[in-house]
Amino acid sequence: MSWQVVARKDFEDAVRSRWLIALTAFFVLLVGAVVFVVRPAPGETVSSSQVLNSLFIKDALVTTLVPLIALVTAYNAVVGERSSGSLKLLLSLPHSRSDVVFGKVLGRSAAFATPVVVGFLLPGIVLALGPLQFDPVAFLGFTLLVVLLGAAFVSIAVGFSSATASHRLAVAGAIGIYFLFVPLWGAIQFPLQLYFGMGGGPAWLPLTGTEVLRFLRLLNPTGSFKILSGAFLGDQLFASDVLRLHVAALSMLVTWLLVPPLLGYVRFESADL
Amino acid sequence: MAAIELDGVTKRYGEVTAVSDLSLSVPEGAVFGFLGPNGAGKSTTINMLLDFVRPTDGTVRVLGRDAQDESVDVRRHTGVLPEGFDVYGRLTGRKHVEFALDSKEVDGDPDALLDRVGLADAAERKAGGYSKGMRQRLALAMALAGDPDLLVLDEPSSGLDPQGAKEMREIVRAEAERGATVFFSSHVLGQVEAVCDRVGILRDGQLVAEDSIDGLRDAVGGEETLVVTVDAASDEQLAAVRALEGVAGASTDGGTVTVSCDPDAKTAVIGALEEEGVTVTDFQTEEASLEDLFLAYAGDETAAQREVSR
Repeated sequence: MSWQVVARKDFEDAVRSRWLIALTAFFVLLVGAVVFVVRPAPGETVSSSQVLNSLFIKDALVTTLVPLIALVTAYNAVVGERSSGSLKLLLSLPHSRSDVVFGKVLGRSAAFATPVVVGFLLPGIVLALGPLQFDPVAFLGFTLLVVLLGAAFVSIAVGFSSATASHRLAVAGAIGIYFLFVPLWGAIQFPLQLYFGMGGGPAWLPLTGTEVLRFLRLLNPTGSFKILSGAFLGDQLFASDVLRLHVAALSMLVTWLLVPPLLGYVRFESADL
Repeated sequence: MAAIELDGVTKRYGEVTAVSDLSLSVPEGAVFGFLGPNGAGKSTTINMLLDFVRPTDGTVRVLGRDAQDESVDVRRHTGVLPEGFDVYGRLTGRKHVEFALDSKEVDGDPDALLDRVGLADAAERKAGGYSKGMRQRLALAMALAGDPDLLVLDEPSSGLDPQGAKEMREIVRAEAERGATVFFSSHVLGQVEAVCDRVGILRDGQLVAEDSIDGLRDAVGGEETLVVTVDAASDEQLAAVRALEGVAGASTDGGTVTVSCDPDAKTAVIGALEEEGVTVTDFQTEEASLEDLFLAYAGDETAAQREVSR
């Protein structure tokens, strides 16, 4: 399969980038530091799932850093090759432009997964040896969910990278996407929450305030991720009473995985290179 | 069947017309030299063969397939040395060739291909450290992977030293002997004359001549090159020469003046030079070379570019 050949080449290339190596080291240090901070006091037992579900890991570390790492890894995926000219070498070979876009999504997702898996694996080993109750299934599952979240951001970045011919615009796009989904989203959600909480509501919408908030939460990949990972670590994933919410969250992540590259591809396909 | 068939192809970028109503047929097995000054539309034409760029009008067929709808299939049977490309700086030379073989889904020995282009010693080095000429060789190795039916080489000699350019010509000849069609563009003529059996000359997006080299010579008629040794001459002083009837083009490096003209125009050329105050110390005539044909077809401004490119 042609797009897999592209993905493998792209992974081998991206994984050798100094940026990615530095990010891996950074991530290992950070997860290690968090694990140290939340370590149990003598006589206390803490499970690894509790550590993962803590504010430090799930909120601070994963949902702010993972989008950043994913965007840094992927924003340049297509437009970088276009401006350097290596895209000409790539498209001289029998690859279609869709092979390039989707191969890039896969290759960069794998490149993104490297620092994350290493970053969780090393502290994971320490956890397993150390004082924590280690739950390997939960640990692996959580890592996979983090990879899924990262892949959604990789897809958004690759989609944007395919749609634009300008390197500068790709950088601006990645920064914009980050600010939209990470700080800004919370900044919009919080006052809305207060407003709806105090009895306000969007009378012009056929939705209740709670529904609007839930939709906002689902729409943001980090929100969907939090719903899924929280439920997963609490052993509530796909439990019958919240099944619809969880399916919606998973579908939203998959939508982010597929739609941005597809839109980027449509632009890329019709472009003169 | 023609390996390359362009029919009424036009490519416009906004107001700028890069290629205008170009029709061209390259027979299978030919070594076709695609000539023209920089900016004549050569790369745009090549980019349309590879579906990097889509024609505004007209049809492009390569190896009997539609260049746009069946582009992947076209490229599966085509080896390409693109112009203005870059390598993957973090990957080794061998990785590049392996990637080309995997992409074309063919078995092949990457080391043999690298050896063929003279990069065997650099196979393990990252391509980011390669010189321009080495990058050119690497892309050629990737193009040769899988023994393509068609080789498309865009300015293949750029960045190569004379030895490299000679090796490039030898590879082109060997590929042609194997039965491949070779289509390459150049604004440097020495290389083309030595290997091509057909030539097309592009100027301002239009094909001004297409023929065999012998045919082109005949078409220009008995035109000769007059090489005049002078004390000193400037380009401005040549205006009078260029204005003469029977003169196709003229250029000077200061010490000699090279004029392609009808044999009967020679006396008038010498006269015009002396009238401009140039002292003629000697002159001789040469049989028309492709260089002169190029001068005749592509216009005088290319003479200056040719000097720069050397």
